[in-house]
Amino acid sequence: MNFFAQVGILLRKELLLEWRNGYAISGILLYVLSTVFVVYVSFFQGVSPMVWNTLYWVMVLFATTNAVVKSFVQENGARQLYYYQLADPTAVLVAKILYNILLLFALSVLTWLAFGFITNNPVQHLEKFLLAIFLGSLGFSILFTFVSALSAKADNNAALLPVLSFPLVLPIIMTLVKISVSALGAIRDSSLGKDIGILIGIDLGLFALALVLFPFLWRD
Amino acid sequence: MIRQSWWKILGVLLLVYTFIAGLMMPLKPGIIQVSPGSLHAGEAVELVVRGYNSSYAKAGKENMRAWLKMDDENILAASKVQVLGNRDLKVFFNLPAYLPSKDSSGSFSLILDHPADGAAVLPNAVFITQDSIDPAKAGSAWKSGRFENLSEHPGKTFPFRNILKESIRNQYFHVPLWFAMMFLFLFSLIHSIKYLRKGDPDADLRVVSLNQAGMIYGLLGVVTGALWAKHTWGAYWSWDTKQNMTAICLLIYAAYFVLRGAFQDDERKARLSAIYNIFAFAAMIPLLFVIPRMTDSLHPGAGGNPAFGGDDLDNTMRMVFYPAGVGWTLLGFWVASIVYRIRALEFKWLDR
Repeated sequence: MNFFAQVGILLRKELLLEWRNGYAISGILLYVLSTVFVVYVSFFQGVSPMVWNTLYWVMVLFATTNAVVKSFVQENGARQLYYYQLADPTAVLVAKILYNILLLFALSVLTWLAFGFITNNPVQHLEKFLLAIFLGSLGFSILFTFVSALSAKADNNAALLPVLSFPLVLPIIMTLVKISVSALGAIRDSSLGKDIGILIGIDLGLFALALVLFPFLWRD
Repeated sequence: MIRQSWWKILGVLLLVYTFIAGLMMPLKPGIIQVSPGSLHAGEAVELVVRGYNSSYAKAGKENMRAWLKMDDENILAASKVQVLGNRDLKVFFNLPAYLPSKDSSGSFSLILDHPADGAAVLPNAVFITQDSIDPAKAGSAWKSGRFENLSEHPGKTFPFRNILKESIRNQYFHVPLWFAMMFLFLFSLIHSIKYLRKGDPDADLRVVSLNQAGMIYGLLGVVTGALWAKHTWGAYWSWDTKQNMTAICLLIYAAYFVLRGAFQDDERKARLSAIYNIFAFAAMIPLLFVIPRMTDSLHPGAGGNPAFGGDDLDNTMRMVFYPAGVGWTLLGFWVASIVYRIRALEFKWLDR
């Protein structure tokens, strides 16, 4: 079976697992809704577009951490090893990254809908905002999936994922915030193309590195 | 190479040279203050000038020349210069009734020249206002000054900059510390790759030692930078892009040490921290080299500020700056090699 077929099957497995479990996805859903509500209650005077943008990405970042942390933890080590024997280990990683891209994209859209519904929707340019969300889920997914694979190997890994990944995610967050601010129409950004280029560059670089390094990571 | 000592001696000698030359060599004479700062066109004015490192008395007033300059075309020569002391001077100007400008006011630089000190400039020294605007009438009145055969300062000096003043010497500490840190992290990256390929525990010890030395250098770089920022920008931390990126970069390497603490098993610790180290280095490149170039920064070389290089880094400074870079780098590797030897001994005898 070639690499891409393996990835396809593993991705299907992830989706099926999520679908049958139901528990994880509804947990994240509830997490998003309650975070949005906490933010809404704390900012009862309403939020300006710039603040909306900041709060939105902070919420997405924390929801991402919670959503991705289980990637490599939910199945125990022995079963993980079984997958690595059945399929190419890199295919396992790629499938998880793809699955997380879908999950994070859904999560970001959901956060946007919920936050926009409760406060207001400052998005002026829908296509730019969706692009920002997509590039964001891409970068977050690659980075957090890889770091969660890394931290799953540690002895107490709960606190390790944010500690390791937040400093690394900052360049992505900074460019994302800039792109989405211009999608909100809050400022006119002349360097939008350059920012998107940088973000895609960072994403591709991290993805390539994750593929190269994963063979060293999974084997114990 | 670790056991050889020639490069350690070289590093120390270069640093001794850096400290002596970098701290002892005087600044070029300059102008600190001119008062009064705001003048009115059409008046005869008397400016009190305070110099820095200057020797006005030695030059004598017959050799002393002074100008007020608006741009290269419009320069007004002083009518009289009176020397009060080595650092104090009175300069007299007969300001024409009209300014060579379409605005009601303008700022002018004061330029002094005499053989003992060479030429000195204070940009935006005075602010002149005029009642009515007519650049045509200003015409020839502002053409009285010409810069001809300006003198050079006879000795070796560092440039005088109005904002930096003596703190220009930090160039030999702040900047080379960053260069050296990059080298240390680069070598730790190389050893990480070596570890993943060969699995040699020795490479892992080198990675940790280099990262430790790199962190020390990073912290020193931040501290020297913060002190410099206090003197030039007015605050220790001014949320400048490069400052933020540096803080993030240090966080990433601090996370490296947290990660190492999370493992009991030596082999696992070495392997996973090597992976993270490679990942961290890749993440650091956009932080330090791409994003700061795209956003505004108070640092030179960004946001319209001139890069350190042109006027600010002259040949005299280069004579100290390059040896300083090599010296600090060699010292960093020496520190790393000592840490490495301690760790290697612990690894061998204490079994940790």
